[in-house]
Amino acid sequence: MKITKKPLFWILSGCIFLSIITGFFVHSYLHPHMYFFWEVLPFFSALYGFIGCIVIIIGSKALGHFWLQKDEDYYENHDAVWSEKE
Amino acid sequence: MIEWFHPGLIYIFGALLIPVLRGRVKKAYLLLIPIMAFTNLLLMSNSVFLSEGKTWFLPFLRYDLVLGRIDRVSMVFAYVFVIASFCMMFYALHIKEDGQHIAAYIYVGSTLGVVFAGDLLTLFFFWEWMTWSALPLIWYQKTKRAYAAGFRYILVHFFGGLCLLGGILLHFQTTGSIAFETFRWGWELSWNNVACYLILFAFIINAAVPPLHAWLSDAYPEATVTGAVFLTAFTTKSAIYVLIRGFPGVELLIWLGAIMAVYGVIFAVLENDIRRLLAYHIISQVGYMVSGVGMGVIGTAAGQMAINGAVAHAFCHILYKALLFMGAGAVLAVTGRSRLTQLGGLYKYMPITFHLYMVGAYSISGFPLFNGFVSKTMVVQASAMWHLPIIWLMLEGASIGTFLHTGLKLPWGTWFARERPMCEAKEPPKNMLVAMGITAFLCTLLGVYPRVLYNLLPYPVHYEPYTPGHVVSMCQLLLFTFVAFWMLRKKLYGEPTLTLDTDWFYRMAGKRVIWFCEKPLMAFASFIDMKVLSVARFFVWLSRNPVVALGIQKEEVKLIGRRLFASPERVEEYERGLEEERRRYPGELPRLTLGASVFLILLSLFLYLILYLLRAV
Repeated sequence: MKITKKPLFWILSGCIFLSIITGFFVHSYLHPHMYFFWEVLPFFSALYGFIGCIVIIIGSKALGHFWLQKDEDYYENHDAVWSEKE
Repeated sequence: MIEWFHPGLIYIFGALLIPVLRGRVKKAYLLLIPIMAFTNLLLMSNSVFLSEGKTWFLPFLRYDLVLGRIDRVSMVFAYVFVIASFCMMFYALHIKEDGQHIAAYIYVGSTLGVVFAGDLLTLFFFWEWMTWSALPLIWYQKTKRAYAAGFRYILVHFFGGLCLLGGILLHFQTTGSIAFETFRWGWELSWNNVACYLILFAFIINAAVPPLHAWLSDAYPEATVTGAVFLTAFTTKSAIYVLIRGFPGVELLIWLGAIMAVYGVIFAVLENDIRRLLAYHIISQVGYMVSGVGMGVIGTAAGQMAINGAVAHAFCHILYKALLFMGAGAVLAVTGRSRLTQLGGLYKYMPITFHLYMVGAYSISGFPLFNGFVSKTMVVQASAMWHLPIIWLMLEGASIGTFLHTGLKLPWGTWFARERPMCEAKEPPKNMLVAMGITAFLCTLLGVYPRVLYNLLPYPVHYEPYTPGHVVSMCQLLLFTFVAFWMLRKKLYGEPTLTLDTDWFYRMAGKRVIWFCEKPLMAFASFIDMKVLSVARFFVWLSRNPVVALGIQKEEVKLIGRRLFASPERVEEYERGLEEERRRYPGELPRLTLGASVFLILLSLFLYLILYLLRAV
């Protein structure tokens, strides 16, 4: 089944669309209190969520692949004392 | 009538009866203990027992040990610990091993002891009990990894406990008081400040602040299925409680907390083990609370908001994190697997677990109508009120990562991601499902009706979470996180790897220490041993017949001289003679006549007399 035929897809798309629209609505009619300059953008949260998510995934994966990720038995293999006993 | 009964003691003494009971009676009894403690708390709230603002103390030596300090901060923490312990014990009811139940209840009871402690000695006492009683919950998993992780856990906490004890003693020495109040300190070097640094250090070890956090992500995922659920709540949140008591408004904590929140998220991306992924999110979520404590300057509106936020978030976090660990634990209990690379497509078998887990996931992500939304936004709001743009961005960014992992990556990888399930599975035992149901209900209740929670908080709450602005911006943030996730979901499959963390330092150092002990140190020790033994052996040999032995020694010295000057044949002859003498040794022992014996005795007495007279002079 193609993804566009699933009802969940359309509900989610609707929600995403609606969140942006209401963002503009709230911003222009209700004038919530602003603390930071970026809040003049009614879709700032959407933008931050989207970009932030991509940055977190790519950034962490890069960090992991170039440095932090090792074999699952890394510690067991680097265990000079115990591996001799086994 | 008794004035007060400590709720923690209900757990600790209650735990002792567990091995006596059997079957259904035992199960009922296990659930009765939290209910009794809850009733006790209700009586306290309604001023039947000690009312808020009062203390209950025990005279000890020349001091009053304050076992019960009742105020709004301690009451709200006590409530959530007791409620959570009920849900968690329900989840663990099917466990046959009494040891696990006993350890869990002593753990809960000692945490309550920490919460009600009004002086530093009582605090230290219960603090150590809390550390110890958590250990069996890890070791009962009975795997090699769990044993090793348990040892590392206890060593780190030993260190923290000793820092606390050192700090308390120094504090007592400089101020003469053991009261546990807000510490007064600065950055200049003085003994009182050193005491406060030590105490703060011990507290942030328990709060799992990087780089001192690795014990958490190391040990909790190796614990038993039900033990891990208990572990998620008490140690870190009691650390938040003591930070609120001792160090509110310390600016350093704002930054540490924000770094924690982001740190946990980054490591969760790389994690393959579902329980370890959730453990990193404990660190991330506790970051919000630590940040909140840091912003909680006493006497300011923004500070009150921050402290309220930290307490509320601790309250909500305990519930939804327990729910998440229950869900992940259910998968582990049923399939025996906890790695994303070995899971996938389980929705067919465990839909109820999935939906209940998702309530926890929505809660931790802060979806409107779930409890994370009403508490997390308070801390974020406090950062806005203090005009801290970088902190605000870090905390919001951590929200994105939280939804990305616990709300999307983990459930996607466990219950979907593959067309064909990786293994057979079924729904977990009923008590586990019911426990998850109760916890999910509480998460939703607090989200829908936050007043229940807000009325318990230490300060009056002037905050409305459900304003259109808050709701819309949170929806935008989370929905667009979902869009980005969907685009990059292929990148997020689990990878069969291990992520290095700051435990690398002590794990590697530990191995070096063991190697050093087993190789160079051992060789040195046996060398010394050998030398001492050979000296001892010589004296034993000598004492068999000193006259002949000294003769042999004299001959040997002569032999060295002869080797230089005599001809080789003569030397050989001497050597043979010496060899013969050594073989015959000790030979005929000289017999002493009676007269000679008496003479020797008299001689020694005479020598003694001379010595005595010399000393007298």
